[in-house]
Amino acid sequence: MVKHSAILTVILSLALSLSVHANVKVDQPAPDFELVNEAGNTVKLSDYQGKYVVLEWTNHLCPYVQKHYDSGNMPQLQSKYTQKDVIWLQVISSAEGKQGHVDAEKAMALNAERKASPTHILFDSEGEVGKLYRAKTTPHMYIINPEGDLKYAGAIDSIKSANPADIDKATNYLDVSLTSLMAGEEIENKLTAPYGCSVKYKS
Amino acid sequence: MRLAALLVFILSFIGVSNAFENTTATGPHIEVSLHSENQIWHPGSEQWIGILLAPEPEWHTYWQNPGDSGEAPSINWSSDANLGFGDIQWPIPKAIPVAHLVNYGYEGANLLMVPVQVPENLNQENITIEASLSWLVCKEDCIPGWADLKFTLPVSTQSQPSDSKRLFEEQRKTLPDAQLLNGKFEVTEQHITVEFEPPVSSNWTLFPLRSDVVQHNQPQQQVSDNKQVTSVIPVSDYFIANNDSLRFLISDGNTAYYLTANANAIGPVNSDDFNLWLLVAMAFVGGLILNIMPCVLPVLSFKALSLSDTHMSLTKKLGYLAGVLFSFNVFAAMIIAMKESGSAVGWGFHMQEPGVIVALSFLFVYITLSLLDIGPTGAKFSGIGQSLIKGDNFTSQFFTGVLAAVVASPCTAPFMAAALGIALLSDNFTAIVIFNALALGFALPMTLLMLSKFFRQWLPKPGEWMNQFKIFLTFPMLATVVWLVWVFLGQSNSSAQFALMIALLLFALLLWLASISKGIMQGLLQLSAVSFLVICVYLSTSVTPSASINDANQASYKQVYTTESLQSLRREDQVVLVNMTADWCITCKVNEQVAFADQEVQAALQSESVNYLVGDWTNKNGEILNFLQQYQRSGVPLYVIYAGDTYEKVLPQILTADMVIEAINQAKKEIDHG
Repeated sequence: MVKHSAILTVILSLALSLSVHANVKVDQPAPDFELVNEAGNTVKLSDYQGKYVVLEWTNHLCPYVQKHYDSGNMPQLQSKYTQKDVIWLQVISSAEGKQGHVDAEKAMALNAERKASPTHILFDSEGEVGKLYRAKTTPHMYIINPEGDLKYAGAIDSIKSANPADIDKATNYLDVSLTSLMAGEEIENKLTAPYGCSVKYKS
Repeated sequence: MRLAALLVFILSFIGVSNAFENTTATGPHIEVSLHSENQIWHPGSEQWIGILLAPEPEWHTYWQNPGDSGEAPSINWSSDANLGFGDIQWPIPKAIPVAHLVNYGYEGANLLMVPVQVPENLNQENITIEASLSWLVCKEDCIPGWADLKFTLPVSTQSQPSDSKRLFEEQRKTLPDAQLLNGKFEVTEQHITVEFEPPVSSNWTLFPLRSDVVQHNQPQQQVSDNKQVTSVIPVSDYFIANNDSLRFLISDGNTAYYLTANANAIGPVNSDDFNLWLLVAMAFVGGLILNIMPCVLPVLSFKALSLSDTHMSLTKKLGYLAGVLFSFNVFAAMIIAMKESGSAVGWGFHMQEPGVIVALSFLFVYITLSLLDIGPTGAKFSGIGQSLIKGDNFTSQFFTGVLAAVVASPCTAPFMAAALGIALLSDNFTAIVIFNALALGFALPMTLLMLSKFFRQWLPKPGEWMNQFKIFLTFPMLATVVWLVWVFLGQSNSSAQFALMIALLLFALLLWLASISKGIMQGLLQLSAVSFLVICVYLSTSVTPSASINDANQASYKQVYTTESLQSLRREDQVVLVNMTADWCITCKVNEQVAFADQEVQAALQSESVNYLVGDWTNKNGEILNFLQQYQRSGVPLYVIYAGDTYEKVLPQILTADMVIEAINQAKKEIDHG
């Protein structure tokens, strides 16, 4: 029995050590990071203090990303909010050799083709920022307010599917959350389970 | 191995189905097909149809909860007949690790079966069934697919199996068991704890039906206690706690059961509510009984006969009641004042303390003796009733009530003593309520007699039966003594219990001797009885429980938590670990079975420099409530370690042996440095 508990304890300690890095929390300060953008410049989250920031994890080959790009849903959201002075950061955490990994040139070409207009494309092929934010899927959306607090993390909308026909039926969490925030209201669902493809991390 | 065989078997079916219509479709890395167990259906039957998802090797499809990513297949059924389509019977899934995530699904082919109710009054020759299907097939990358599958089946008076029948038969073997289980769950800061009783013991993995309950990629810890299994799983970041029940599939890979877990009732059992009503009822009845005591009833009867209710105002009639209530409340206030000043200097009145149990057993022996007219009081005051009948204005009625309460005390003492005992053990509110119930019971008969002569005919006549009744009452009192002595055994050992019984016997003997003695001798004997009692209570405070009777839960290194004990230990610069637990708390039990059962932890807790205080929140307890509130908690478990007055640290709600030892060592260091 004692030996048994010892084994369990080991398993438990392992479980605890794995779950320690719970460092992003809604309504808490969003952790700062630095990544290189499509022009080769370093972009820091803290550069955008005073503005709303959207983080969008993406992978152009993921069917769930394609659902929202090919339908025009994601590009529309990008243009709607960047016009309202929101900083939209598209983050690509696909590691080299994995699905969705692209260089700056390809990424810009893709955005041009898809009429996408994020403020910057950020390359995170080491996956450090993705793991810092615990980005699980593409798409996985985050909203940070002008004070630098994380206000929303989760799915883009309420229907988990790869079917573009579901977009109109769904509640677009990103859209309603940003609208509420900018109107000074509380967000109804601050944290939702994201859906989509797994982020193709290096490890 | 069985699975591989099944796989080969299933694969042989692909493309074989009847060429009714487009029953198959192909997507990248997957083939899907529509099947019916019977190729001819008859009205009024239950039929089975299914979609076979056959991905390429290494590719997988999903269970109803896909896990961290992915998507469950969905099927929309339609038909030209009025059919009732049931739910998909999901085969037992497996956890499929994909990079840093875990998905729940199926590697290899699986048939998603659905029962169909064919109506009795079906009036058509053929039935066409269409399935609008969408799926996601993944390796590390995922590819969604859609297909519309369709077939037409003839309707006849008799069903006839199709070529796919064996496919259905084989797949049925991989379905979860029909037996449904029930369990409880509890959510702490970072974990969800699920307790259930599986029909067989095995290594169970829990698959939640919702995707926002657990962190799918985290290991699940399992603790078994007899048949009960408790699983501790890191809770999902997306889990929003409410009182909804949660559904899981528990699986050991071969067998699986659906489990419905209800939120564990968080919070202590408020046993006070029930007990309070019971105590009030008992106190009220006790008050009524006082009226037929030999020193009260004769007087009451006499007064009743002499009463003339014609020209008495209602206020006057209620004067007696007011007087009784007043006296009892004064008495209650005195007791509360005594109790408060007592606890201010560190006396606690807890049933957990052997001293209190011993004192109560002496008290009840004394009550028994006085009911038998043995002892210092007895019914020597029978004549006191004279004052009860003088005057009939409010003041005199009021003081009549006071006098009845005070002067009748030789008779009422046994009951007053019992109420006093309860009041000392209860909170102040309960004490006041009990005394008022007693007072109302006591005052009721006389008040009724004053209000109306109608009640006078109900008044029993005094007589020898009163004495018989009084003697009868000694038996419940003795039963209480028996119970108390039994409780005492739980707190001590059999030799101490024997000593207590001998002490009670000698105490009774001394009181009896006192009752038949006179003058100084009587006083001396009474004094010795009292000092005897005091010595016994004093000695009992130092008894130690015997190891053979008490299990590990009452091991001597554990001390009962009190605010006072914590404060004094901290003032003495001690290391103190406080464990707030409760019988109904699943997480607490897991910690007690794992972290606290560890030998090193036990050794650390038993070492002289460490004090281990356990607060049991199974029942409501004001001191524990205060402690929890101090740490903004509404429930247990709560573990806090202290080093003297300056250092304190709250430990996580799920503990490991290492965490406890590390916390103790850290606290010891603080003491050394301080």
